[in-house]
This record gives sequence, C-alpha cells and structure tokens, in this order.
Amino acid sequence: MSVLIDIILAILAIYLAFQSLLAKRLTQTVFIFFAFGLALALAWVRLGAIDVAITEAAIAAGFMGVLFLDALRDFSPRTSNNQEKTEAAKDIFSKKNTKSLLLPRVALVLGLVLFLLISLEAIWNIPDGGGLTVSVETMLPESGVEHPVTAVLLNFRAYDTWLEIGVILLGLLAIFATGGIKLYLKPDVPAQDILLRQVILFFTPILFLFGAFLLYIGKSGPGGAFQAGVLWAAIGILLHLGGKPVFSMIPRWLGQLLLTLGLGFFLLLGFILMAGGATLFEYPPAYAGVLILIVETLAAISIAAALTAIFANLNQMQEKPNDIESTT
Amino acid sequence: MDIIFIIVVVFLLLNIALGLFRVWRGPTVADRLLTTQLFGTTGMAILLVLAGYLKDLNLLNVAITFNVLAILLVIGLVQVWKKKKGESP
Repeated sequence: MSVLIDIILAILAIYLAFQSLLAKRLTQTVFIFFAFGLALALAWVRLGAIDVAITEAAIAAGFMGVLFLDALRDFSPRTSNNQEKTEAAKDIFSKKNTKSLLLPRVALVLGLVLFLLISLEAIWNIPDGGGLTVSVETMLPESGVEHPVTAVLLNFRAYDTWLEIGVILLGLLAIFATGGIKLYLKPDVPAQDILLRQVILFFTPILFLFGAFLLYIGKSGPGGAFQAGVLWAAIGILLHLGGKPVFSMIPRWLGQLLLTLGLGFFLLLGFILMAGGATLFEYPPAYAGVLILIVETLAAISIAAALTAIFANLNQMQEKPNDIESTT
Repeated sequence: MDIIFIIVVVFLLLNIALGLFRVWRGPTVADRLLTTQLFGTTGMAILLVLAGYLKDLNLLNVAITFNVLAILLVIGLVQVWKKKKGESP
C-alpha cells in the first residue's frame, strides 16, 4: 500500500521539476521550486536518506528561498523605476524567445532521453550486497563515530568534504571579486519594527541551539556540519535582514578568520597527521571522535559565515543601483 | 493501523497538489509565499505521520529543520521587498 505514497510523490516531484523550468512567470517558477524542494525532501525520506533530507530541507527551504526572493525583487519589472528599460528588455527577450525556441526543446528532449537511458542502466545494474555498505560497516568502530554517513564524510572520504568546504569559500570569493567588499561593509539602520525585532530575537537562540544539536547528533545519527552550518547561517541572515549586518559589526580580520577557519584547520590537521607518518586525513582511531567533532564544529562555523556573507553581499549589491536611482 | 497512516499521508500530499493552484494563480508574491508556508506546514505534518509509520524518530529532525527555517522566508519577503518605497509585496 505504501507504494501509493511513492507514486504520488514521484509524480509530484517530476511535475514540479518540469513546471519550475517551464512556468511562464518568474514568481511562479521560484515558488514552484520551493515546492519542488519539499517534494524532494519527502522523497529522500522515503528512500531512507535522512541526512540528505535534512540538507535539502535546510538549503531549499531556507537559504535558497531567501536568495531567490532577493533575486526575484531584482528581476521584478514592477520594482524597477526605469520602465522603458524593462520594456525594451522584454521586447528583446520575446523576440529572442520566438526565434530560438526550437533549440532548447530539442536539447531538453535529448537530455531527457539520455537521462532515462542512464537511470535505466543504473537500475539494471544495482550491485549485489549494497555496494560499499558492508565495508563501511566493518570499519565503523575505527572511525570514531557511530553513524556511517558521518564516518564516510569526515573520516573515510574527508578529502571530499574538505574540498566541498573549499567550494563554498570559492563561490564567496567569486562574489567578492565581482561585488567588491566596500559595499558589503556598508553599515545599515537597525530595524524599528517591534514585531520584527521580537521575531528575530525569539528565533536566534532556537536556530543556534538546533544547529548545535544537529552538529552533535551527527556522531550517532543523521545530521552534521553542513546542516548545522545552514541553520547558523540563518541567524546571520536574520540579523542582516533586521539591519544588523554581522560582518560590518565585527573587525575585518575576525570575519576573514571565521570564513577560513574550517578549511584552514582541516588542512592543518591533515598536514600534522602527515608529519606524524600517516596519510592525509588518516586520524589515529583513539582520537578520531574528538578530532571529527572539532573539525565539524569549525567547518560549520565557516559554512555559516560563508553563507551569511554570500547573502549579505548579494543583498547589498543591488542596494547600490537603487540608491543612485533615488538620488538622481 | 498502517493503512490509516498511508491514507493520511496521501491526503496531505493531495493537499499540496491542490495548493499548487494558488502558486499558479496567486496574483501577488505574498499569496504565493503563503502557499509555500502552507506547503511547509503540510510537509511537516507528512514527516510526522511518516515518523510514526516508519518508526524512525530521526524524521522529527527534518520536520524541525523545515519549521525553524520557515521564518527565514517570511522575514526575507517582508524585509527584502519592503525596502522599495511605498510598494506592497
């Protein structure tokens, strides 16, 4: 009977994925994308991947949501003062649209056929014995944690995780390079609205506590640094939206330290381990649990700082043209 | 007993599908955002029911994650769209 749930979920997820690409209006696509994130999180739950479901919930419902809302305002024709410009842009867009509609369709169909073939192949060739599950299970006592996913992410394949933290930092650096750091250091006015202040004050400790809980529970169950990082980043984003940009309130060296802490400590630890005769990220089993917890905490702090900085930067970047418009 | 869980989950999923209508129609951004809040609540309800059905309490963590981050969207909408002078979202 539970196959009924799966069928509805699958239909919903695929329908939403298509609609988030094909819907005519930008606001429709953005909000359909949120619904798609929800359907995907439920699908991950049904597949038994709770870790991925938490990450999907945190990224899709929280971080991407705010980024998309921010971008939506940028692209919304109603909020643009320069009416002619948007109309001209619309004309160009519609002309382009009618001309080159065939190519994207062909590409879409080709991609779909290819994807279906690949997934058929993947379903056909499921390895016996569940792939690497058994070897992870046998090595689990040496990893220092009890949850296989955390063991893989932070011990067996720590290299991957380290690079992933680097990718987030790299994205931030790209935004720095295009946006400039001056804008993002611009001080803001604290929010006057009493309701907004109270909501932010109420949610800040909850977000912090639940993030710390997810970080710690990562040892023995679904959770971990990335999920905790997103929840802590939500604090920074809330404070930013409330008119207290975190990065303009702390000294600059501290901000840079927070951003690079996770990547730097991970790398330092790897080198120290290599100096001790082991390979990169090969923790001694006796200290593995403590080391993983330290690495995860610092990584979560760095991820939170990076996501906050990304949002702060993107949010401030569009402030500038608006300011110019209002003064001229 | 299991059949009740499944019926409830299917009902809630169909609720989400129905709510898409408002995302489609909803004249303003605020309408659509409220729908996604409804989706979030419904999704949490589904997760809680599934936690009972699959006997896996870790699902509650997913539900709380949805719950605490839902506020981010609302505050985001209010603050990001308010900054333009005199326009309601």
